[in-house]
Amino acid sequence: MKSLAIETTAVSLFYLMASFIAFAIVMPVQQSLFPALENRASLLFLPHGVKVLAAWLLGWRSSIALFPGVLIVFAYFAGWGVFAPHRMSAVMTAVLVPAAVFSLVKLLGWDLSPESGRRPRWASIMIVGLLISVVSSILSNLAYGNSPQNYVAYLIGDFFGLFFLCLILMFVFRAWRSRAIPHG
Amino acid sequence: MSELSKLTELRKLMLDMEHAMGLQELSTVERDVYYAASDCTSASDSVRTNRIREHAIVASMSRPTFFRALKSLVGKGYLEQSGNASRGRYLVKTPK
Repeated sequence: MKSLAIETTAVSLFYLMASFIAFAIVMPVQQSLFPALENRASLLFLPHGVKVLAAWLLGWRSSIALFPGVLIVFAYFAGWGVFAPHRMSAVMTAVLVPAAVFSLVKLLGWDLSPESGRRPRWASIMIVGLLISVVSSILSNLAYGNSPQNYVAYLIGDFFGLFFLCLILMFVFRAWRSRAIPHG
Repeated sequence: MSELSKLTELRKLMLDMEHAMGLQELSTVERDVYYAASDCTSASDSVRTNRIREHAIVASMSRPTFFRALKSLVGKGYLEQSGNASRGRYLVKTPK
C-alpha cells in the first residue's frame, strides 16, 4: 500500500511536470511556429512518455498511479466539466490504454516487462509507445470528435514526447553517472 | 519490484538507448556485466563475483570474456573493488 502511494505520488508529479512543460512552454512556441494547428494537440507531448514508461515499469498499477495527475490536468482545462462523460472517457483512455497495450503485446508473446534477468530494449518501448499512441488517439478523438489533422498531430506529439523524455532521462542518468564515476 | 529495482530498470533502459545512439563508452559485453552487477547489488552493498557470474544475462558468457569485462569496468570506474572485504567483491558505482 505504501509502495502504491509512493508510485502514485511520483508518477502523478512527473505527469504534472511534463504537462506543464507541454502546455506552458512547448505550446506557445508551437502556436507561433505552426498557427494552422488548432486545438490542444502538442507536437512534443512529454506526458505521453510518462504514461508509457510508467506502464512499462508498473504494469496495471500505472493506471492508479497516473489517475490523479491526469485528472488534475483535465480539471485544469475543463473545471468541473472534467466529469462530463466524454472527458471522463478521455481520462480513462489516458490511464488504462498504456497498461492495456503492454498487457496485450505480452499476451501476443512479446513480453517487455522489466525483470532483473532481462535486457531492456529501448527500441521496443518506442514501438509499443507508438502503438499506445495510435490506440489512445483513436479513442480520444472519437470522444472529442476532432478532425483527422489532429490524429496526425497527436501521433507526432506522442512519438516525439516519448523520444525526448527518454533523451532527457538518458542525459540525467549520464550526468549522475559522471558525477559518481571520476574520469581522467 | 522495489523502488530501487525500478530505478535500476529505468537506468538499464537508458543505457540501452545510449548504446543504440552510439553514445555509450561500454561494449555490449561490458554493458551486460554492468547490468548484471547492478541487478545483484543493493544501494550500498558490494556484490560477489560469483553472484554476478550466475546472473542470467551473463550466464552464457565465457569465463575469460567475463573477467576481461569485469577488469575493464573497474578500469573505467563503473565498478570498484570493495576495500573492506576479501577479493572478489565489487561495488557498483551508481548515481548518488
